[in-house]
Amino acid sequence: MARVALEELTKRYAGGNLAVDRLNLDIADGEFVCLVGPSGCGKTTALRMIAGLEDITSGRVRIGEKVVNLLPPRDRDIALVFQSYALYPHMSVYDNMAFGLQLRKTPKPQIEKAVKEAARILDLERFLDRKPGQLSGGQRQRVALGRAIVREPAAFLMDEPLSNLDAKLRVQTRAEIARLHQRLEATMIYVTHDQVEAMTMADRIAVINEGLLQQVGTPKELYEQPHNRFVAGFIGSPSMNFVETASHRNGKAELQGEGVNLVLDDAQAARLRDRGLEAVVVGFRPEHLKVGEPGGPGLRVSARIDVVEFLGNDELIHAVSGGRDTVAIVEADARLAVGDTVSLWAEPRHVYLFDPQSEVSLGGA
Amino acid sequence: MSVAQAVAQPVAVSRRLAIRFRPSRVVLNVVLILVALFWMVPTISLLVISFRPEGLYGVSGWWTVFTEPSQLTLQNYQSLLGTGLGTGGILDSLITTALITVPATALVTVIASLAAYSLVFGKWRGRTAVFLVIVGLLVVPVQVALIPVAQLYHAFGNLTGFNPYGTLPGVVIFHVAFGLPFGIFLMRNFYTGIPKDLLEAGRIDGAGEWTLFRRVVLPLGVPAAASLAIFQFIWVWNDLLVGLVFLGGNAHHTLTIFLYSQTRTLAASYWVIATGAMISIIVPLAIFFAFQRYFVRGVLAGAVK
Repeated sequence: MARVALEELTKRYAGGNLAVDRLNLDIADGEFVCLVGPSGCGKTTALRMIAGLEDITSGRVRIGEKVVNLLPPRDRDIALVFQSYALYPHMSVYDNMAFGLQLRKTPKPQIEKAVKEAARILDLERFLDRKPGQLSGGQRQRVALGRAIVREPAAFLMDEPLSNLDAKLRVQTRAEIARLHQRLEATMIYVTHDQVEAMTMADRIAVINEGLLQQVGTPKELYEQPHNRFVAGFIGSPSMNFVETASHRNGKAELQGEGVNLVLDDAQAARLRDRGLEAVVVGFRPEHLKVGEPGGPGLRVSARIDVVEFLGNDELIHAVSGGRDTVAIVEADARLAVGDTVSLWAEPRHVYLFDPQSEVSLGGA
Repeated sequence: MSVAQAVAQPVAVSRRLAIRFRPSRVVLNVVLILVALFWMVPTISLLVISFRPEGLYGVSGWWTVFTEPSQLTLQNYQSLLGTGLGTGGILDSLITTALITVPATALVTVIASLAAYSLVFGKWRGRTAVFLVIVGLLVVPVQVALIPVAQLYHAFGNLTGFNPYGTLPGVVIFHVAFGLPFGIFLMRNFYTGIPKDLLEAGRIDGAGEWTLFRRVVLPLGVPAAASLAIFQFIWVWNDLLVGLVFLGGNAHHTLTIFLYSQTRTLAASYWVIATGAMISIIVPLAIFFAFQRYFVRGVLAGAVK
């Protein structure tokens, strides 16, 4: 077990394409960190640089206290769980898990003990003699985890390990990985494009977009205080609504956008004044919208309902005002019908303001 | 599943149920068996001739054996094999052929596998260009190279004192050189299908290049290596031209040269040719059936996803 530190980690491909741009991230011993971002954002490249499968253009990777930039993967004391599992098809489950230890000349009895123990934890004892081809997707996934566990590495790296599983199995395995992390108290770096996975498992999340680190923080921090519009839109499901607004010159602190009217509270108005902004991007989460009108300061949306998705307790509403779509989650007994014009509102503390140029959050919220 | 497949499935199911009752199916099988038999007629005739007395060859057709099975005798095999291991005899030729074929096959399979590994999983520049040049070599006919290679052998002999011309190593080297382009082509194409993730997993597990080759890639490449070995074995085993040219004055010659030398301008010892051909066929057949089980498809199932 060890801490892992990325210092100004950069990857530039031969074509000049900058995949990872000066990534700084300090992962504490035993911490579970998710690298999350849309496909092609550089998160997998960053992970592969930690693993030693990708050359580092500049910057440093530290595992423990040692800079490992020039070490081959086998000398970095890490284990990687692949998206594709990458099990050796010609070897039994036992040999798949034992291979790494065999290559390290671990004594046989010790290997057997480690493999048996991993198999017990992952409920694979019955399958040790089978070949990967005779296993289901979920079982293969567990073998891939087992292969990592038996090595007792300084850090576990996982590259979208759940994306090939069906929805039900994914939820189940997600819990299993979380449990595994608690049990092993191991440093884990987990790459995913699915913010739900990141939110549910990680101690901290690093959001990456276009090679650049956007924000690092606990799931709660990212959800409540996103640094910028990208993080705000990426974290949370369904994602945040955004409206471009401009101040309404009637003397009051009021912003208007397409189908949206926002009466600022004093703190918000002060922030706008400090920065001299006339126009801002307003963001609000679907789960914070309520049917009705705000009493005082707050956000008001008026829109025509386009689609109603029944979720059981709640309803997911897509409402249109002009050319803009607003998504809201409201209680099912609100009895809204397609075609109705509805008025929705949100409290000031649930409204986010972003600079329209830099897209950086104006703070608060 | 595509729409076409989805639509086709009920039809496929009903056809499977109907297999036993369809007369067209029976007709199809009969036709197939007839075609197969027709194809085998020359081989069968050779087989029968080899078991008929030498004197009967010019007297009655080989098919008369079906009405008079009493013709059958082991006499040809006894007299052919009876000459023992004497130089120039069939057993001597059999050994010579084996001494050429086995190393030539083993070397091509091993070198082609190694080269393909480097071409697919190596990280050096110009891999594709090298591969294209190797594939380009496939079009060079053997006949074009006979004289230049012979000259090369002589030059090598002048330089080092060992002239491979007329020796078994000389023939083996020639076969290896001409077997490699196809071998590398075949192995590379197979290795390309091995997911890169597997090698990366191996690297993380602690394997170096040699371990990766021996413990991961080679076992997965067994079906391709087996096909290559069978092809190469049969080609070299059946080769006449290279052996004829490069064994030159060597007293030991290959089976094909032995059989060829039985044909003369005005006559031929057909009983020797038929019997010798049968002896010659047995080995490749045995190899084929021995390696056949490695042709099992889908060894990669379960590697990824």
